[in-house]
Amino acid sequence: MTLIDTDDQRDLASSVKRFVSGQAPMSAVRKTIASEASFDPDVWRRLSQELGVAGLPIPEQYGGAGASWSDLVVALRELGSGLVPTPVLATSVLATGTLLALDDEEARATWLPRFAEGTAVGTLAVSEGARRPWAVADSTCVVEDGTVTGTKTAVLNAAEADVLLVTTASGVVLVEKGAAGLTITPSDTLDLTRGIATVTLERTPGRLLAGDAASAVDSVADLADLALASEQAAATKACLDMTTEYAKIRYSFGQPIGIYQGVKHPLADIYTDWALTDAAIRKASESLAEGSATASLDAAVARHLASSGYVEAAKQTMLLHGGIGFTWEHDAHLYYRNAITGNVLLGGPSAQQDRIAQKLGV
Amino acid sequence: MSTEEFRAKALAWLQQNAKPFDETTPNSGGATIEESKAFQKGLWEAGLAGITWPKEYGGQGLGTAEQLAFNEVAADFRMPVGPFVIGLGMPAPVLLEFGTEEQKKRHIAPMLRGDEIWSQLFSEPSGGSDVASLQTSAVRVEDGWLINGQKVWTSGAQFSDFGAVLVRTDPSRPKHQGITMFIVDLHHPGVTVRPLVVATGDAPFNEVFFDDVHVPEDAVIGEVNNGWAVAVAMLRYERVTIGTGVRARANPLGYDALVELVRARGLDADPSVRRTLAQVYAKESAMRSYSAVLHQEAKAGVPIGARGSAAKLAGATFPLWVSDLVQEIFGEEIALQTPDTLPIARSILAAPGGATAGGSNEIQRNIIAERVLGLPKDAGVDKNVPFNQLKLSK
Repeated sequence: MTLIDTDDQRDLASSVKRFVSGQAPMSAVRKTIASEASFDPDVWRRLSQELGVAGLPIPEQYGGAGASWSDLVVALRELGSGLVPTPVLATSVLATGTLLALDDEEARATWLPRFAEGTAVGTLAVSEGARRPWAVADSTCVVEDGTVTGTKTAVLNAAEADVLLVTTASGVVLVEKGAAGLTITPSDTLDLTRGIATVTLERTPGRLLAGDAASAVDSVADLADLALASEQAAATKACLDMTTEYAKIRYSFGQPIGIYQGVKHPLADIYTDWALTDAAIRKASESLAEGSATASLDAAVARHLASSGYVEAAKQTMLLHGGIGFTWEHDAHLYYRNAITGNVLLGGPSAQQDRIAQKLGV
Repeated sequence: MSTEEFRAKALAWLQQNAKPFDETTPNSGGATIEESKAFQKGLWEAGLAGITWPKEYGGQGLGTAEQLAFNEVAADFRMPVGPFVIGLGMPAPVLLEFGTEEQKKRHIAPMLRGDEIWSQLFSEPSGGSDVASLQTSAVRVEDGWLINGQKVWTSGAQFSDFGAVLVRTDPSRPKHQGITMFIVDLHHPGVTVRPLVVATGDAPFNEVFFDDVHVPEDAVIGEVNNGWAVAVAMLRYERVTIGTGVRARANPLGYDALVELVRARGLDADPSVRRTLAQVYAKESAMRSYSAVLHQEAKAGVPIGARGSAAKLAGATFPLWVSDLVQEIFGEEIALQTPDTLPIARSILAAPGGATAGGSNEIQRNIIAERVLGLPKDAGVDKNVPFNQLKLSK
């Protein structure tokens, strides 16, 4: 294994980058934002079918590429850099990761092939409020007579999901779109590039999946940490690049503002933090792919650094652009919204640090 | 020999000749200069010094894989090689890059064998960040040059045999264009070395005075008046040495040391302390990962370039940041310098010095912004003015 991209990964990165600049540039992202949908289904289908992104972590027997999580990380970087709205985190990381970590052959055989071809969206309904973002054993959702009752918050892409994997103290329950008693209330979210909803289940029919839910969800939390960190670090780099370019062309007092240390030093700090975070992500990616004993710890470290670093970079991007950075037309606020949302979803700042401490055994 | 065989050889030699690493003893283990020299000689005789350097100059001619294997194995041992860190980390690679065949043959092998200790002499009382404003001068005389002036912040000068000294050779040119780097014999009677006591009360550095020190013509490294390019290369090596040389277990402000003290006090039950430790671990492990990425890239032929400054900046800001955090964790124990917290207190006191050594944080940020990000360089009012017409102080 290596901490630097392989030739295949470089090829994958440039294919996804080409796709993003051609099919999902910021102008298209803004069209999606202005529409009712939280992502463009055509973009997701083509990403899945033409580039195989959704199927990267899915084994070949279920119609995927049987690649590693570190390959998905490469694709996530390009999508995250362009803030491309897709259900990749919900479907390819959370739902796929959960089905692979559980032990339910029927669910895998039914859903993974559809995920791989981009014809079904899946998600994990796990959070029950800010203090219990990964509720499993402590879930208040109740399983009874083949139904599930309870409320899940901040569920990614729930409104578009064909299948929801609902965590409960009894295990993970598979609920299909349109099931009786299933109510999905999309939120008016801070992040304009993510679809998030509250899910309430009232004696909703669902099938309890085979497998150890607690350990499966714990391993999915590692994947989520790595995946989110990869998107965030790439978006951090996009903020840095955007602001650096602006500092070269914007003149004040007769000079480009990038000459002034008040501008260049924050950018140097963002670069340094990004470089360390990028390295931490590469390390976590390698650890997860190798099944190393420190994989969970490394993923938690990557997430903590990427989430906090992105918030700082996005904030500085707005500030260093001055007035223009505060306009709706400028992309800075899209990153700022995305950065803050990513820092509080699936475990906020304290939870991120607690997970590191827990995995360190402190 | 495969990398694994090399690793096994290194391990076997270290087990035989070095003491295991132990947190309570400084890495040098209080070794004398003579003991350090003997250890370095042993390393070289065992084929463990100059691992990636060319064989014709006394190196082993091996690759980065062997170097990394050695570094990993050596982390478990006390390595009393302190006196050689500068010479082998900075002047030696610069000699390999810029030196004449004769200079390389004359000096590299003796450095690797532990026979020659080297210093680097750049900073002067009038300028550290602005190294190119240096005023120590060399004037041409028959059969060489005569050096006069003063250097400061010189590590190890008191036991060094040679120095790589940056000197002004043409004050009529703009400041970067009239500088030359010389090899100077520090045993010359015109060289005076005085210890410099710093904030910690220790004297880890020296002031070095040059009083009519004669050096021969072939003491020039690179070309006359082209010393700035050589100096920039050496500073690049220095930042890599400083930024990537962090060893977790040796650092009182590192996670391993802190968690032990926290546990001993039962403070690990406090969620805020646990979160602080998590942050420290995260940053420290990311620094290690970054160092590993840079090593792998260098091996793959991707130049590190000015990114060494990012490693240096991260390495310098880390102890300053942790200094703030430990005050919250250990409270008055820090002020009282109890046996447990004395190493922490000393590290807090030493942190600003570490950030300044090898170029201040502000200089590193300039380098990152200008050479990595490509931001415009501040023109500098003195850039094209002949040095002898510059205003050098108020």
